[in-house]
Amino acid sequence: MSADQHDRRLEEVAAFALGALDAAQIEDFREHLAGCKRCQDELNWLAPAVRALPEAVEQQSPPPELKVRLMEEVRADVAAAAEQTRAAERRERASSRKGFREWLGGLDIGGLTWKPLAGMAAVILIVAAGVGYLVGNGDGTNVHTTEVPQPNGIVAEVINEDGKGELRLTGVEQLPKGKVLEAWVARGEAVEPVEMLFTPDEEGNATTQIEDLEGVDAVMVTREPTGGTKVPTTEPFVEVPLES
Amino acid sequence: MTPVRREKAERLADEELMPWIAKKDPEAFEVFYDRHGGAGYSLAYRILGDRSAAEDCIQEAFISIWRSGARFDRTRGSVRSWTLSIVRNRAIDALRSKSGRAPKLTFDDDAILESRPADEQTEKEVLAAETAVEIRGALSQLPSEQSKVIQLAYFGGFSQSEIAGMLNVPLGTVKGRMRLGLEKIRGELAEGMA
Repeated sequence: MSADQHDRRLEEVAAFALGALDAAQIEDFREHLAGCKRCQDELNWLAPAVRALPEAVEQQSPPPELKVRLMEEVRADVAAAAEQTRAAERRERASSRKGFREWLGGLDIGGLTWKPLAGMAAVILIVAAGVGYLVGNGDGTNVHTTEVPQPNGIVAEVINEDGKGELRLTGVEQLPKGKVLEAWVARGEAVEPVEMLFTPDEEGNATTQIEDLEGVDAVMVTREPTGGTKVPTTEPFVEVPLES
Repeated sequence: MTPVRREKAERLADEELMPWIAKKDPEAFEVFYDRHGGAGYSLAYRILGDRSAAEDCIQEAFISIWRSGARFDRTRGSVRSWTLSIVRNRAIDALRSKSGRAPKLTFDDDAILESRPADEQTEKEVLAAETAVEIRGALSQLPSEQSKVIQLAYFGGFSQSEIAGMLNVPLGTVKGRMRLGLEKIRGELAEGMA
């Protein structure tokens, strides 16, 4: 390439730096740039001037709603990713929890079949293991909380304070007339009703007290007729396995 | 990875923040937006001339950064210039799409522009020049014909041939004005750090 031809190339460095080369010239110029130290030096010299151009713009304040929308999208991404991870963990670990499924599958409660829930419960046990935590209360008592996501957006939390328990649900649908929520505790193969019946408030939160959590393997919730029942008449929609 | 607390994120330099964003930490991303969202929005508004379009541009650009945060390469320059180049490309693409012009910009060009090793980067030179004020001063001191071609190219996304046609001047004249204009801005930046 003659000196004259090269000078013409050098003239194009500024246009290239500004992104103003015509589309057909860009590839050709890149090839030249890759092997031309002088043009590289020129580009390196001019590049900060181009990078400085946005700073010369009169500053505007973005509307606060823009950040709100952006962060909503970001947090939705995080939630979706977390859900994907949980789903993958469920799939991966469900198979290794066959024993628990069999245990639950063989559970005989007033003639009801619990098998449809067995797989879900096995998965939930694994999730629960990841979210359970133990804290000291400062007054000598120990509080162990087990929080387990349930199907249909419900989150169940069992708080065990020295054997006495509280079951807190969020995201519960409103009940039809004549129905209440009834909790059950499973100890081995025995299932017993929890005394205190409960209903969700307007925001879908529902809480009941569990008198005795000693030896309880799982806490479950069903929808039952007002007044409750001695044995479950519907399949549980909440299942919280507890670490014995 | 335990999420970074906001107070800690605020103390991190941009380059330290990016790995947290790559690991999908929303607190880190919020701090990142707080630092560069305003400059990005100002640039998008300058290019698009419309608040709603600028908002869309920023939403798209920052979400693309969030979703591909791992793509930032600290050897290629500062986080800020990388961010603003993404915003600029999005805005120019939107402008071209609106006006029926074919998209021309590619990330590759930015990669070349940012391709010097970090220790050679003169980003600090830019910052040392009190950025906005110095640069606006440098731009305003340019002869109007030089300022015009630079602004048409950078903020308008026009190619040198398009600019030559718009201004009805030879292509060589446009090239020369671009080069002279950038040389002067670059000289001002160098003086500012001296």
